[in-house]
Amino acid sequence: MARTHVRDFLSRFVRPLVAGGEVHIGSPIPADDVDRWDHELGDATVELVAVDEARHAVVSTLVCRPPAFVLDVDELALAAGLHNALFLVHPRAEEWSVSDRVRREIIDTALAQVGRPLTHNRTRVIARHALLHNLFHLTRRDTTVSWWTGRARFQGQTPSRRLTSWKNLRRVREEFTDVGFDELLAVPDTAPVVATLLRRTPLTQLLDSHPGAPPLHWEDAVFLLRDAELARAVAYRLVPDAAPRDQITGPARLAAAFEQMLERTPDEADVRAVAAFLVHLAALFCFGELGLREPGAKSPLISTVLAAEAAGQRPRGLVTLFALSGALAAVDPRIATPPGIAALPALAARWLVHRAQTAELLGDAVIDALAARLRRHLRFAPRDPSDAVTLPDPAAPAA
Amino acid sequence: MALEHVAQGQTRFFTPGVAPDPRGILLGRYCVMTFPTLEGAVSWFRLYSSEAALDELLSNLTITKCKTALGSREIVVQIPAVSSYAADRAARLCRLVGGAIYTGTAKHFVKYRDDRSPYGYDAVDIGTMPATTDFMVHGDEFAQGYLREGDLPFGRLLFRLSIRKLPGGEHLDAEDRADLFLAVARGLSEGIIRYLWRNRVEAQAGLFTPGASSAFDDHSRDRGYMLIRVRALPERILALFLGTPGIDVFRPAGASAAVAVGYQHPIDLASCSSVFPGDTFHVFWPGDRVDVLPGPIALSDIADLTRVDLELDRPKDPRPHGGGPIESIGVELKLAAAMGPPRRVVATLIALEHGSRLKRILFALPPVSLRGHRVAVTERGILVIGSENLDVIPLGQLLCELTPGLLVPLGMDVVPRVSAEVLARALGHQAGVVTVFTTVGRPFQIGEGSFSSLERRSLAKLEVQQVFVEDFGAEPAAEAQVINDAVGRFALWGFPDAPDRKLLPPGK
Repeated sequence: MARTHVRDFLSRFVRPLVAGGEVHIGSPIPADDVDRWDHELGDATVELVAVDEARHAVVSTLVCRPPAFVLDVDELALAAGLHNALFLVHPRAEEWSVSDRVRREIIDTALAQVGRPLTHNRTRVIARHALLHNLFHLTRRDTTVSWWTGRARFQGQTPSRRLTSWKNLRRVREEFTDVGFDELLAVPDTAPVVATLLRRTPLTQLLDSHPGAPPLHWEDAVFLLRDAELARAVAYRLVPDAAPRDQITGPARLAAAFEQMLERTPDEADVRAVAAFLVHLAALFCFGELGLREPGAKSPLISTVLAAEAAGQRPRGLVTLFALSGALAAVDPRIATPPGIAALPALAARWLVHRAQTAELLGDAVIDALAARLRRHLRFAPRDPSDAVTLPDPAAPAA
Repeated sequence: MALEHVAQGQTRFFTPGVAPDPRGILLGRYCVMTFPTLEGAVSWFRLYSSEAALDELLSNLTITKCKTALGSREIVVQIPAVSSYAADRAARLCRLVGGAIYTGTAKHFVKYRDDRSPYGYDAVDIGTMPATTDFMVHGDEFAQGYLREGDLPFGRLLFRLSIRKLPGGEHLDAEDRADLFLAVARGLSEGIIRYLWRNRVEAQAGLFTPGASSAFDDHSRDRGYMLIRVRALPERILALFLGTPGIDVFRPAGASAAVAVGYQHPIDLASCSSVFPGDTFHVFWPGDRVDVLPGPIALSDIADLTRVDLELDRPKDPRPHGGGPIESIGVELKLAAAMGPPRRVVATLIALEHGSRLKRILFALPPVSLRGHRVAVTERGILVIGSENLDVIPLGQLLCELTPGLLVPLGMDVVPRVSAEVLARALGHQAGVVTVFTTVGRPFQIGEGSFSSLERRSLAKLEVQQVFVEDFGAEPAAEAQVINDAVGRFALWGFPDAPDRKLLPPGK
């Protein structure tokens, strides 16, 4: 087997993965190759800089000052794991001669490659997102060529010219089909690799998703909400200036993950952080309606998405998203209203309209049930003003 | 028999044909209420009609006499479960009158929600239904099968019920007296109409004959009466009518029915108006009499029904008056010194030979003074019209405006002093045309389209360089498309084992 240089891997797979273009899938990459590529990175400066500049351009719309990126073995391994996962849907990997044992070895290798340590380091989280931000938007164009005596299907490959020549005489017809994430990375073989990979890049999971993707595990991503700049970027990406149903898709997904979080035993501070973030998203809906002609009019967004006749089309988590503020008001009023909302009288008025309309459409039973679930995790204990605040002892100076 | 409490968010149920509504409450397509007697069902209709409209339930409402396996008989009312709010109201009223309520779709109906289980109940052990039963209800401790014996249409039930005397019902307040019907015997009608007209009561009247209900009716006897609709009937007149034989007073109940004053139908007729056919009007009399009049009732104003006295022997012919042709009184238009205060200067007519002076003045004037001015060069001179006061150009004959577009020299006026409209019509002046009177020669006209902006006209053509705007926005990312390269037949030859095999359970 010919040994591939890291230069080729960067230019044919990693850079198109980040900046768009043709992502070439070749032979599966063993773990040893990744170790070798780590040493070869010094000889691929041109390709390395191109990848890092592309990543810089990707995150420039997220943060004001993108950190300096230098691709290292951590991201190389993630990319190699994704490459191997994509090889599992390569037509060569589905031939009869490829045994189950070999496919399992490839899956194991990919799992080992994407199984990098979880990180809370801001730069590394952003770097991983910049590398994998296109994960849910990878597509493959399949071509079906049919002629007078037969047909052939080419998955992500160009049909041989021999098959497409003499179109009229041989009655050649070409049909193109674009397949996406659900057929590439949500199939049974690749799904565990992608689930492992996505846990390593929580920022990507917060910003983007796909119906076939594994759900968000809030405990892995909640630390991002404590970074104000990233939390703000996530909030603004999740509430786009679009039709009502598109506006609530992202927030409802996060609220559905919050519902799952409440069924586990998360840290109380994490529950508070996520709840406050979802309340902030609800405030953004109010903010988007400040330009309404009648300040006291009912929200067209809530009327559309919570309408009784469209109850069957509500995405999961939507009810929790809108009921959360009312439930928090009964459990812990400090996070039931976003801070500073009273500074804008128009925004405060819209907030009251939203809460009243939500209570009317959802009913008290739903809000009370959510409040009961929240009470299991939030123990609201107002601080006794007589308590003295004690600071930890300063560390003893080194001898 | 066991019922399970439905949990919040539960979507799968054992009971067939039920589903959670948007509030999460278990609901089928119908609600079924069982009452031991017909009086219970009527009481439920009475209560429900006083709180909400029965019309929304009537499309699928059935009243059935049913028999249980033990031979006891019950009245079963089936209503459509339009929403859980309507079902909540039905359940509350049903329990109030001693009935029980269930929900379901076809054969199996399960107990509707109550305080103990706010999301409803689900019957967990639904077995095969005996062939002799039509439907089955599942309660807390029992499951009861029913066999249908006969239906009682709601319309028939409505007309079988007698209207009841209300204590003190004859005393109506002003709001109730706003719209009333009077049924007046034929012999009294003319006097009643005259009486109402004299008392300035707004009313409309029509003659109606109730539809014959039997072939043995005496058709030779006229059973018709005058129906008068009165508005804001004074209380004293109402008391008079109630005490007068031959006059009956009715209150409208919805658009298609009226009930005698002092009486009330057990079921609120306004809430079930769809029971009455659209082309009928039902009048409920005391003593179980119901007249069906052709509807919608067409009435005429009583002001047109009062008696008319004719004096045909003294005709009043119209007297003709003659007229003559219009005499010609034309007068020639002239300019004369104006009598009133001086008007605002809006234009100036500059002789052609003074064009060079105008150019020099234009160079000297500030841009603000030039803005809004328009100019046209004609054979009678250069006409400059300003948007504001034009006395900044001290050239030519200054003109002021009589009416929009009609210009006369400053200090002059047109005699005879006719109105501006008449003058414009005589000159053929209209919108889009400027008419100018001069001290010498005849007036002339010029179209508005001939004018151009003085600012633009005073400038020579300049060459301007086009520059391009730099866009600092991030470029949209291109689509990432997977291309499967040809990897050869031996691409997997010698692929090494994974470094950690514990990540997945061993393969088959």
